[in-house]
Amino acid sequence: MGAAGIVLRDVHKAYFKDRLEIPVLAGLNLEIAPGEFAALMGPSGSGKSTLLHLIGGLDTPTRGSVRVGDSQLESMSESALTAWRSRHVGFIFQMYHLVPVLTAAQNVELPLLLFRMASSERKRRVQTALSIVGLGDRTDHRPNQLSGGQEQRVAIARAIVTDPDVLLADEPTGDLDARTSEEILNLLNALNTEFGKTIVMVTHDPRAAGHAGRTLHLDKGVLDREEVNTRRAATASAS
Amino acid sequence: MTLPLYYNWRNLFVRKLTTLLTVAVIAVVVAALIVLLSFGSGMKRSVGGSGHPANLLVLNAGATAESTSLIWPEDARLLVQTPGAAVGPDGQPLVSLEIVVQTDVRRLRDGSSANVAVRGVDDAALAVHDQVRIHGRIFRQGAREAMVGRAAQSLYRGLNIGDRIALGRSRSHEYEIVGVFEAAGSAFESEIWAPRTMIADSYQRRFDSSAVIRLLDPGRIDEAAAYVNGPAVRLKAASEPEYYSQLSDQSQQVVYLVLGLVIIMAAGAVFAVANTMYAAVDGRRREIAMLRTLGFSRVAIVAAFLIEAAMIATMACGLGIAASLPFSGMRRDFLSPVTHSVTGFEIVITPGICLAALVAAILVGIVGAAAPAARAARTPIVRALRRG
Repeated sequence: MGAAGIVLRDVHKAYFKDRLEIPVLAGLNLEIAPGEFAALMGPSGSGKSTLLHLIGGLDTPTRGSVRVGDSQLESMSESALTAWRSRHVGFIFQMYHLVPVLTAAQNVELPLLLFRMASSERKRRVQTALSIVGLGDRTDHRPNQLSGGQEQRVAIARAIVTDPDVLLADEPTGDLDARTSEEILNLLNALNTEFGKTIVMVTHDPRAAGHAGRTLHLDKGVLDREEVNTRRAATASAS
Repeated sequence: MTLPLYYNWRNLFVRKLTTLLTVAVIAVVVAALIVLLSFGSGMKRSVGGSGHPANLLVLNAGATAESTSLIWPEDARLLVQTPGAAVGPDGQPLVSLEIVVQTDVRRLRDGSSANVAVRGVDDAALAVHDQVRIHGRIFRQGAREAMVGRAAQSLYRGLNIGDRIALGRSRSHEYEIVGVFEAAGSAFESEIWAPRTMIADSYQRRFDSSAVIRLLDPGRIDEAAAYVNGPAVRLKAASEPEYYSQLSDQSQQVVYLVLGLVIIMAAGAVFAVANTMYAAVDGRRREIAMLRTLGFSRVAIVAAFLIEAAMIATMACGLGIAASLPFSGMRRDFLSPVTHSVTGFEIVITPGICLAALVAAILVGIVGAAAPAARAARTPIVRALRRG
């Protein structure tokens, strides 16, 4: 699949707690170009993760529109969103969320089980995804036999195995040491530059955000400011 | 699309103790159910399978069993005119007049007392009850001799060939056992048979209990019954299998009572499964949310938990069958509330009974897992991921 652009128009999102409305996003407008690597930063409660969930079809806006590629998400039913996610989005979480009873290969294979596909084709894709993340020799390891960095690589392999348009990463290095974080961010960079994936990454870490082409700063539910990472842009244009 | 079975299977052993306890609870229910069904089917096979379709059993009007029926000689004489009656080698209609009384014997197993039916018969009995096969020899008419059914011999003391048994109102007459008979596993095998005239003498009976008329054609049973029930005779006739089938149904009441207890146990097992599956759902909320994020539907999540419960139930069924197997082949007797005599039967665990137990176990699993599976499907994805 190719990369998909993301367009949000006047997006509002509010949660209710004890009948009290808690606004999270307040009329947010945003465009992310196909093949772009964008970082979302902002203080806690600014709406970063909520925005990521809306782009990933895990949640729907209270008001406004969310378009990813050709899909208008706010008008889709829950079951349609479920099917859409399986085809168009790969998720990477801070805590990896691997299934502990499955091996690395079986974890990566999970999203492929949603498609009609020959077992041999599934195995080939799993092996390719694990090789891309540098874990081609760890296929039979269970999560508890892997380091944190390796677990996150397996999670990335699981996210890319269906060849989605968009990768959404929620604090992907938040639980990793500096060296391993750098490795993971380089891997995301490679997925963006070499495979053309549109990536949206939530992070608190400015160094992590520095790997993205653009950093979007959210505050109080709106886009406060944005900055282009010139160093990364220069690297990308050189490559 | 559902999750792979190895995912379900491995998750069962994440909480080994809880899973094994649930397996044990269902296994107890399965074992109890299997033994009960085998017990009921053994009783049914023994009593319900008795009788020949061409035999018309005659009791006096109002009697519910041979043991409480009286047929006076003047009424018995009218039975030879029953239309459609078969004729024996002696040229006489095949009518077997029989006296049924009881005697007290001791069980081999524990020495407890059991009321065994004693049937006084003439030679005609062997013609109408033609499933009877004798080992040793038949008693001689006019002699105090008896033969015992195979089930009675295997369940009670002092009923082997050569033994002597005291019969009669004051147990004053000793009968020598000269033969053992089989009767295709029917209720007759739980009885002691002796010459009718000798039993009448020992028990001071001037009347018979029942008459069995062999008909030429089972299709004429209604015509024959109409004659016996009619004004000419005024007795009560039913086909022999029908009589034994009714006896069997009445004897099954105890099975239904115990089945009620098993159902209560099964309800307990449902709660055990529910408890286990609720724990599994609560422990895997992030995992469920992640699977939903990947694109697995609510139905797939429900199916995953139902399959896990079915796996627990299947394991439990295997264990329950293994636990119940030692009961297979065991011979026991039961006291009929109608005839007031005991009937022996064999507990046989058949593939059909095992299949019924498997269905019941899976039903327990599915019912128990239904609510937790529904809760799993309703897991709010975003909240579960955030609480990670």
